[in-house]
Amino acid sequence: MSDFKVVGKPQPFVDARQKATGDAVYTTDIHLPGMLYGKILRSPIPHGRILNIDTSRALRLPGVKKVITARDTPMLCYGITHEDWHLLAPDKVRFVGEEIAAVAAVDLDTAEEALDLIKMEFEELPAVYDPEEAMQPGAPLINDAPGNIAHVFEVERGNVEEAFGDSYLVLEEKYYTSQVYQSYLEPMAAVAKPESDGRISFYLPIQIPSKCRVTYAKALDMPIDSLRIIQPHIGGGFGAKMETPLHPIAALLAKLTGKPVSLANTREEDFMGGNPRLPMNIQLKMGFTREGLITAKKVRIVAANGGRVCYGVPILGTACFRVDSMYRFQNIKAEGYLVYTNTLPTGCFRGFGNSQMVFALESMMDQAAHQLGIDPAEMRHANAVHSGYVSVHGWQVKSAALDECVGKATDAAGWKKKRAEKIFGKGIGLACTNHVSGYSAFFPPFHGSSAMLRLELNGKVSVTSGEVELGQGQKTAFSQIAAEVLGLTVEDVRMTPVDSDLSTFSLGAWASRTTTVGGKAVYLAAADLRSKIMAYASMLLEVEEDQLFMAGGKVIQDGCPDKGIALADLASRYLYQHNGSFIYGFGEFNPGTQVPDAEKYGNPSCAYPFAAHIAEVEVDTETGQVQVVSYHAAHDLGRTINPLGASGQIEGGVAMGVGWALMEDLFYDHGRVANAGFLDYRVPGPKDLPEIKSIFVESNDPYGPFGAKGLGEPALNPVAAAISNAIYDAVGIRLRELPFTPEKVLTELKKSKK
Amino acid sequence: MKKQLDLLVNGDHYHLLVDPHVTLLHVLRNNIGLTGTKEGCGAGECGACTVLADGDPVNSCLMLAVQAEGKEIITIEGLAANGQLNPVQEAFVSHGAIQCGYCTPGMIMMAKSILDQNPDPSEDEIRSRLIGNLCRCTGYEKIVQAVRSLARPAEGRYQHE
Repeated sequence: MSDFKVVGKPQPFVDARQKATGDAVYTTDIHLPGMLYGKILRSPIPHGRILNIDTSRALRLPGVKKVITARDTPMLCYGITHEDWHLLAPDKVRFVGEEIAAVAAVDLDTAEEALDLIKMEFEELPAVYDPEEAMQPGAPLINDAPGNIAHVFEVERGNVEEAFGDSYLVLEEKYYTSQVYQSYLEPMAAVAKPESDGRISFYLPIQIPSKCRVTYAKALDMPIDSLRIIQPHIGGGFGAKMETPLHPIAALLAKLTGKPVSLANTREEDFMGGNPRLPMNIQLKMGFTREGLITAKKVRIVAANGGRVCYGVPILGTACFRVDSMYRFQNIKAEGYLVYTNTLPTGCFRGFGNSQMVFALESMMDQAAHQLGIDPAEMRHANAVHSGYVSVHGWQVKSAALDECVGKATDAAGWKKKRAEKIFGKGIGLACTNHVSGYSAFFPPFHGSSAMLRLELNGKVSVTSGEVELGQGQKTAFSQIAAEVLGLTVEDVRMTPVDSDLSTFSLGAWASRTTTVGGKAVYLAAADLRSKIMAYASMLLEVEEDQLFMAGGKVIQDGCPDKGIALADLASRYLYQHNGSFIYGFGEFNPGTQVPDAEKYGNPSCAYPFAAHIAEVEVDTETGQVQVVSYHAAHDLGRTINPLGASGQIEGGVAMGVGWALMEDLFYDHGRVANAGFLDYRVPGPKDLPEIKSIFVESNDPYGPFGAKGLGEPALNPVAAAISNAIYDAVGIRLRELPFTPEKVLTELKKSKK
Repeated sequence: MKKQLDLLVNGDHYHLLVDPHVTLLHVLRNNIGLTGTKEGCGAGECGACTVLADGDPVNSCLMLAVQAEGKEIITIEGLAANGQLNPVQEAFVSHGAIQCGYCTPGMIMMAKSILDQNPDPSEDEIRSRLIGNLCRCTGYEKIVQAVRSLARPAEGRYQHE
């Protein structure tokens, strides 16, 4: 299929130029007439009752226009899966950073000064930070859930105990995955503008501009359609930019003052008000045959949810059973506990819960391979699923090239030769992942996407979709897809800005779904537009449709290059003939997925991507420092729409994974994040990363547009395990707690020498 | 007590009355309306607000506006001329060095400074000089490639403007 003209060609991002000049407008760049500036007062304590909030002094400060507390809100509980959110805490705080009051003032300095003038009195309650402790009888109850358990996930297939009994090797280990912060460069922000008809216009950097209205409408006690979301450019999200109380608080301030309000986190506030990764204690037990085939897997996960539930429920579920369609698992048992703790509420982070479980699983696969004396790559070849596989949970893997990913990554990295070298301090490690491209349980009412294309008078095409660009290259991929279908160039396609008043209701950027699900809707809309153009051209030219083709912005008669019509001519003739109506193409993609049933059975995604990563490390045995010196990432992404964007996404995902594995960790002091800034919370810089070589494996999925599958999250999932396995190869220690700091490396090295 | 200030930004003079404690970043974004320069941390830890002051890269969130008086300030808006991108901007676009774009203005200003000071920086030098500019999207690979593509080993001086 090398006859694509646009798809598969390296395409500089369509919005890169405006980002390079500073012209691209982000939320905090917006200045509206009469705009006020908001600030949020956050809880300084991890757990306590609010006895009194005195706002009188703040209100008297000149320039302060409004100070609100819970009593000024609709006092409704709302949330995503659990209605344990409040716009502002009414009587109790559950974590340091929980929103208590908010201020709107004429400028930021005044708003900040006002916060200092608000007096808060609390009755402090005993706090609990560790999820295992929080489950014990007698632990302080955070949200009145028995045992602080917010959610339990259980699934069982086959017979694990019997299979363990029949296994040649059984391993059981504990893993810990840390709490990390997404570290998008643009902190959370909102501009909310009250309209004279009672509606609120919102400028939000959010990954789910359509869906968030469902949650915010409830919080604000307003109809969904009274919330209009307009999408400025977004400075990264990586899962974090989902629903956050900051947005409806801005709306409420705007509503109560009658003025536009700009409300943004400082970086420190963003660390305290965001929703970092769900940390997990994972107890994993696996059985293997002498040949390295997996016989059974049993997992118990206890996850520290934090003070209120964001997306912990599907994240935990994902960790419990998503990997079950990577290898040919038959006997599995999983139990997961989502436990309230007096720590930051946790949410989506690139990879969802799969990153956590892939770390544990792929570490254990490597351990098993070594104990069995099998090449870890051969272990993966032996267990990998193939196209057409249906998992024990009913997941239908229509395309799978995991096997090929392992082969290509090992070839490119020189795996066999390097493994044979055995130089102490130098190591090479392999880890794999699977993932989804969209996930039905995330928003059960529907899982697909829709798009609308319009032929403009100049013969170019505009694409309207509510799916979201946050830096991953969505606008460019959609432009390429539309251009390919219509025989146009990327320059002939324009993406319209996301505006909930005009765009389709789209589910947004999560679960690596945008290119696959949203892109397929664009593909279908482009095909619809194409057929309408062809029908009209056929009428105008008096030529049968099957004699016509589209290329170079024209409809041309086959064999008669002179006979045809330019799209610009066709567009205006249609518009004049139809009293101003454009030619539209509509596309609606139903991915045909199911929400898993009560038994957790059902196919939740239309396409499953895979990857194999190989890390090479050098371990300094004096300092304990680990440096990743080379990296190969082979991805089954179905079809590469934009190689420039795809390699960029892989490089960014690997970089983020290196940060998770070696550097990043939120740590707390009495419930307060103690490293709420980039000086103390180090993310990888240019010197921390090796050259990252991307390898594309095209399995050509039957569902995705031109065969494409998801890529964003799989790029991060295997990194920590690949590095961990490389450290074992280098110095013979197994690290099972993230991150692999020099202290941990040295401690384990000491132990290993004993 | 507000202070009178004459700032030279991208070749234009601005006469302003500002509080003495406000930063150059604040004045650029809020008083002058040059919002291309971004605030990522407000503490000199991410480099998103990098501008050039007399040719030197500075975190504009750490420089007081009053300290910028008498200096020639260049921001991201001052690079393209007559609709023509500066070569650094061009290289960032064509190499795919821009994803979300939030670090981009600061990153481009730092890259320009690197090339202005050494027309032929090695990859290691580029990585070392970019250490104060965080990017969470790209893994830096394409940013380094973009800067490296502008290195002029034979010709000596890198042509800017």
